[in-house]
Amino acid sequence: MNKTQRSGLSMIEIVFSIGILALIMLPVFMTFSSGNRNIQLTDSEFRAHTAAIELMEQIVSLPFGQIKSGEYDSDTIIDGGQFADGPVLFKLSPVEDLRHTLKIEDIKRDGKTLFKKVTVTIKFAAAPGSDRIREFFMKTLVANENL
Amino acid sequence: MKTCKTRAFTLVEIIVVCGIVTVFLGTAIMLFTNFRRGFSRSEGTAVLMQDGALFLARLRTDLNNAVIAPDASGGTPAQINTTPDQLSFMVYSSREAKALPVIYRYLAAENGGSIFRREGGEKERELIKDRVASLTWQTELERFVEPDSTGSGTIRLSIGLDMKLKMKSGDEKPFSLKTSIFPARLNRQLNSP
Repeated sequence: MNKTQRSGLSMIEIVFSIGILALIMLPVFMTFSSGNRNIQLTDSEFRAHTAAIELMEQIVSLPFGQIKSGEYDSDTIIDGGQFADGPVLFKLSPVEDLRHTLKIEDIKRDGKTLFKKVTVTIKFAAAPGSDRIREFFMKTLVANENL
Repeated sequence: MKTCKTRAFTLVEIIVVCGIVTVFLGTAIMLFTNFRRGFSRSEGTAVLMQDGALFLARLRTDLNNAVIAPDASGGTPAQINTTPDQLSFMVYSSREAKALPVIYRYLAAENGGSIFRREGGEKERELIKDRVASLTWQTELERFVEPDSTGSGTIRLSIGLDMKLKMKSGDEKPFSLKTSIFPARLNRQLNSP
């Protein structure tokens, strides 16, 4: 009686083990690609931050009387748009894919404006070409020096 | 009675498995190489970004401490002096309780320029080494007069900065930065009645 015993690994076993190995390796490769993505995001965040400071500094540098309350968006403040009814024009460096929003509110006590609350919001794409929008905002108070 | 026990793989099995393993390893190595290349490129970009951010933060802090100080001749000099390779102004130093000159110097070079900073009598320090592809800075002074005003108007002083950084290897994406800095204290001092 001739008995043949084959005890090697079957093809299916090998294919399965390679599949499992691929699944294990996937997160490792994902880590690399997410590292790259984070650096890209930091780049966008840095640009948004720089754009916010640029706008904020211009308002903070103005004499108090010229800081006009109101809400402004990219269309009214970019390309030399007029800052409320004042004579000062904003000067904003052209930045791709960024939207500026500016809000200036009065903080009053006893009918006098003590402070102006300035909020600058920058909206930017989470990744180049992505539809997901991220937001960065910055707030400060400007004191009325004429009181 | 003869029993034949075959415990080895057949040739076909070994060839098929070798083929699968080769394809799998080849893909994995290719992916890994691509990720590594991308990662090292991003790392270079991150280094450039960090250099640019540190320089910008340094300059902004100095400009926020900038003051109007009379020069030795008693005149009122232009408060921020810019030439293509130098940017200088006076800052208030709380340590020495007086205004000190701060000088930023740009040394252009074909393979990447450098930026140096010197404060008062201190030694000149390097802020960015051999990574500046191009740099321009200029003082911009504007005056706005309200239509119904009898005053001399509002003075606005700013520094326009346009900088491009790149790695020597040149594989990385260059980092460009274009912005304006408005020194608040100096502007308020210029506009004070």
